[in-house]
Amino acid sequence: MKRRNFIQTTGLSLPLLLNGFKLSAMPKSSIFSAINNENDRVLVLVQLNGGNDGLGMITPLDQYDKLANARGNILIPQSSLLDVGFNQAFHPSMTGLKGLFDEGKMGVVQAAGYPNQNRSHFRSTDIWTSGSPADEYWATGWLGRHFQMGQPNFPDGYPNSDYPDPFALTLGGTVTETCQGFTANFSMAVNDPTMLNQLVNSGNDTAPSTPYGEELAYLRQSIESTNAYSNGIMEAAGNATNMVTYPDTNLASQLKNVALLIAGGLKTKVYVVNLGGFDTHAGQVVLDPTLGTHSELLQTLSDAVTAFQQDLTMLGIEKRVATMTFSEFGRRIRSNDSLGTDHGDAAPLMLFGSCVKPGFTGDSPEIPDAPEVQEAVAMQYDFRNIYGSLLMDWFEVPQADVQNLLFPEFSYIPLMDGCNISGTDQLPAPEMLVLPYPNPFSREVNIKFNCGNEHVRLTLFNGAGQELRLLINKRLPAGEHIIQFDSSGLTNGSYYFHLRLENGRQKTKLVVKN
Amino acid sequence: MDRRATLARLVGRSRSGKSAKTVSSLDAISGLTPYTGPFGYEQAAHLLRRACFGASYQQIKEAVNDGLDVTMTKIMNFSPTDLPTPPVNYYFTDDVNTPIGETWVDKLYSGAIPGLRTSRERSLRAWTLNLMHTEGISIREKMVLFWHNHFPVADQPDTRVYYSYNQLLRLNALGNFKSLTKAMTIEPAMLRYLNGDDNTANSPNENYAREVLELFTIGKGPLAGPNDYTNYTEQDVVEMAKVFSGWRSRVVPNSPPDDQTIEAYFTLNRHNQTTKQLSHRFNDLQIPNMGDQEYAFLIDKIFEKDECAKFICRKLYRWFVYYEIPQQVEDEVIAPMAQILLDNNYEIKPALEALLNSEHFFDTLNVGPMIKNPIDFVISLFKTFDIDMTPANLFQHYTVFVQAYTRTSQMQMPYFDPPSVAGWKAYYQEPVFYRHWISSVTLPFRQNYTNRMLGAGLTVVDDNNNVLFAAKIDVLKFVALLDNPNTADALIDECVKILFPQPITPLQHSYLKGLLLPNGQADTVWSTQYGNYLSDPSNTAAATPVRNKLIALLRGMMYMPEYYLS
Repeated sequence: MKRRNFIQTTGLSLPLLLNGFKLSAMPKSSIFSAINNENDRVLVLVQLNGGNDGLGMITPLDQYDKLANARGNILIPQSSLLDVGFNQAFHPSMTGLKGLFDEGKMGVVQAAGYPNQNRSHFRSTDIWTSGSPADEYWATGWLGRHFQMGQPNFPDGYPNSDYPDPFALTLGGTVTETCQGFTANFSMAVNDPTMLNQLVNSGNDTAPSTPYGEELAYLRQSIESTNAYSNGIMEAAGNATNMVTYPDTNLASQLKNVALLIAGGLKTKVYVVNLGGFDTHAGQVVLDPTLGTHSELLQTLSDAVTAFQQDLTMLGIEKRVATMTFSEFGRRIRSNDSLGTDHGDAAPLMLFGSCVKPGFTGDSPEIPDAPEVQEAVAMQYDFRNIYGSLLMDWFEVPQADVQNLLFPEFSYIPLMDGCNISGTDQLPAPEMLVLPYPNPFSREVNIKFNCGNEHVRLTLFNGAGQELRLLINKRLPAGEHIIQFDSSGLTNGSYYFHLRLENGRQKTKLVVKN
Repeated sequence: MDRRATLARLVGRSRSGKSAKTVSSLDAISGLTPYTGPFGYEQAAHLLRRACFGASYQQIKEAVNDGLDVTMTKIMNFSPTDLPTPPVNYYFTDDVNTPIGETWVDKLYSGAIPGLRTSRERSLRAWTLNLMHTEGISIREKMVLFWHNHFPVADQPDTRVYYSYNQLLRLNALGNFKSLTKAMTIEPAMLRYLNGDDNTANSPNENYAREVLELFTIGKGPLAGPNDYTNYTEQDVVEMAKVFSGWRSRVVPNSPPDDQTIEAYFTLNRHNQTTKQLSHRFNDLQIPNMGDQEYAFLIDKIFEKDECAKFICRKLYRWFVYYEIPQQVEDEVIAPMAQILLDNNYEIKPALEALLNSEHFFDTLNVGPMIKNPIDFVISLFKTFDIDMTPANLFQHYTVFVQAYTRTSQMQMPYFDPPSVAGWKAYYQEPVFYRHWISSVTLPFRQNYTNRMLGAGLTVVDDNNNVLFAAKIDVLKFVALLDNPNTADALIDECVKILFPQPITPLQHSYLKGLLLPNGQADTVWSTQYGNYLSDPSNTAAATPVRNKLIALLRGMMYMPEYYLS
């Protein structure tokens, strides 16, 4: 409750301003690299609400004896743990994630947190979603600031042909604080992307410049943008089909929809899904410590993420998607008598995808011989360095911008790697030829390709990566197809035809020179 | 310094953003000076929208006649101990100890009876929403919801603990904040929700200790140093958990044994009997073992900190006035209100009355900028249109309010299921507060609800889908109560007054007129049709065009976001 006062008394504390950085003066080039359509990468955040017990999730085997001393009543027998090497073992319900780990599609950053850990759920969630230091109160989200850099006028004039889809989507009822920009939130909330109705939007006129008028304008804007984005979302959801069966959990169905939308061609860059219930003060485990609330939660998480990752592979979009978990804090080293743990500090953060650097970053957390009641895992990696490194590696944000978005002391951690695509999911590149027709001097060309009886999407992009035309977006019969395209109306330059089949894609260049 | 405006300028905002704010709530400051201006329709409607879950047109006009003082007395002076009769079993025949029509609140609960939990939850939720509908001119139910948001509980299989908790809130709706906090500390629902049941001498469970400080009483200040949140420290959380240890809840069989009560009880050997050492934030206070009196002693000590008064006043302000609390509001509204609270030893009523009676509250800038929460949105429609529930039998009555509950839940505000121990985000989460209610997920449910209430309504059907009862808007009954329904322009103006908190523009008026009189029909068409209907209300042919026109007008109005504001 004090935070607003705090903002007012300390004045402007955002790094954007501290560094004298003017949004309007951003060089275009970095904006394009920041949110570039040609960079079709997607980040999926899995928010684990309540404070996830990191020591129960990934147990450092080299500290096992000390853990037995500090949390014997909840500690899982070593024989039941899933040893993944590096002196680390996963919770027995994370068999799916162990599979991903073994395949090299999972990375773990040990002891992610921040200095001066705040043990309030709400304050710490604010810190994790805003990317602020522990002693500053920021009203924007870390991804919201990132988006705002490239889109200073958002939401005025959005969606538009360059940005037809929401920048971010939350699967659930409310938007995510991570995407709060300076004037609006960059995320949209969607429950079921296959069922979106147009809202009635009539009877509007100018709103007065009063608090009432501001709320009115906000409501109108929300109705407008819901309508504007809905068709694209429904279309994307209809364009693709999930390739695996997901478990019957809420998290899994959120991820299922995420896979559908990415595969269906939605240009959304960030998706946020949620799993709650990690506040395990009591009943974290039951008499058999391999069971209980935490086990159920980790099972849900592991099964859902595993199915999602498999689906991405089969949909041929594995390389485009990185997934990251986060939780407001870890829990205490010592357990309590209620077979639970109280609020703590740092905890491991997990990354999934074929492009993440596999294995562990950081060391086993060090467990003291006789930890105090209040003692928790000490931070090794500031989460802001994780965010910033992801922005750099995944969204190609220059380091100087990352320092502005997060903190000047930012230091890079290599978290992404060369993409490791499984042998089975190498996308076949269908044959596609662009043929001059009927003669090289004509503006008309023929695009020739083969497909099965499947959904085909053929689009034209310009060199800057903007989609200009949608040429085909429907199911075609099997066989060879020749599409005529008239390039008159295009200015000189390079263009690309993108062909996407259900199980393959190809890109072919077209040079227009008059 | 208006931080948001500065940032907005940097990002080049020009329209509909915060930077466009030329008049801010700051201009509305006039402190807690009692309001002495006119108490006309606008003021009365504002007061009843905010202090109650809305009101019918007649109730608002009655308030204008009564004047502010009398109306305020009606709002504030309910009898605290006059509690409603408990919810009953309205359909569930497998609840063998509770015949239909009788209450289940003291009857055996067993998770082994399939459907029992659901039936009781439905009953309790319907009962709660019905109380809001029938509250009349009273702030009580709005305060009960305020306290539910302030002291949230959730996830309880045994619905009886919700009932007990809910009546505690009702009993203390305008009571003493300190006493309520003490009672809440050992209320079974809270002991279960925040693990008091598990908090023992050997192994304290900190869940309640942390939240009682951070969310219920003094609030968390800025980080002043390692583990130091200005108002308290991590040490205080640890030590206070020990103070609260030893309290649990249990089910006590009465006679006959199917009759049960749930009570809190104290066990000395589960209580940490050492001396608890608080931090310098509590003047290094040491609390020796005081057994079952210790928790109350500690609550008294927490409430000796004046920050508790400011903390609750800010929450009341956000509940009743507006979400932004700039420094000037902090100094000129929150501080004097907190002083009243302190002067009255944490009695809520005088402080809240001062707020609702203030110039600041009635400033026109504070009229309308609150997005109605889902419960307000659903229930105020019942009250505005005075929806008649009297023909409904027990089953139908409960069923309608279960459906109303489902609507509030779809719009993301399920009673007895707040998203976290901090309550609903709309009342604490910076920077957008009330705007959390609005999303592409919730907006369709809002539009669907108002549309439905003008059509079929919330219906109870038999096995063949025949409608047995429908709670819906009767537009002819509604229009008959207007002062001047026979001319189109006056009719629209009056509907605007009833449904929107602020006037509309001439362009919007013409839009609405186009809904009432489609295809460029002349004003006289309405007057004639309405006149025909009045001369023979039983004539269906005369009533139909009038009804259709009114539904078109009201549907259009309730789709407009103006209707979402209070």
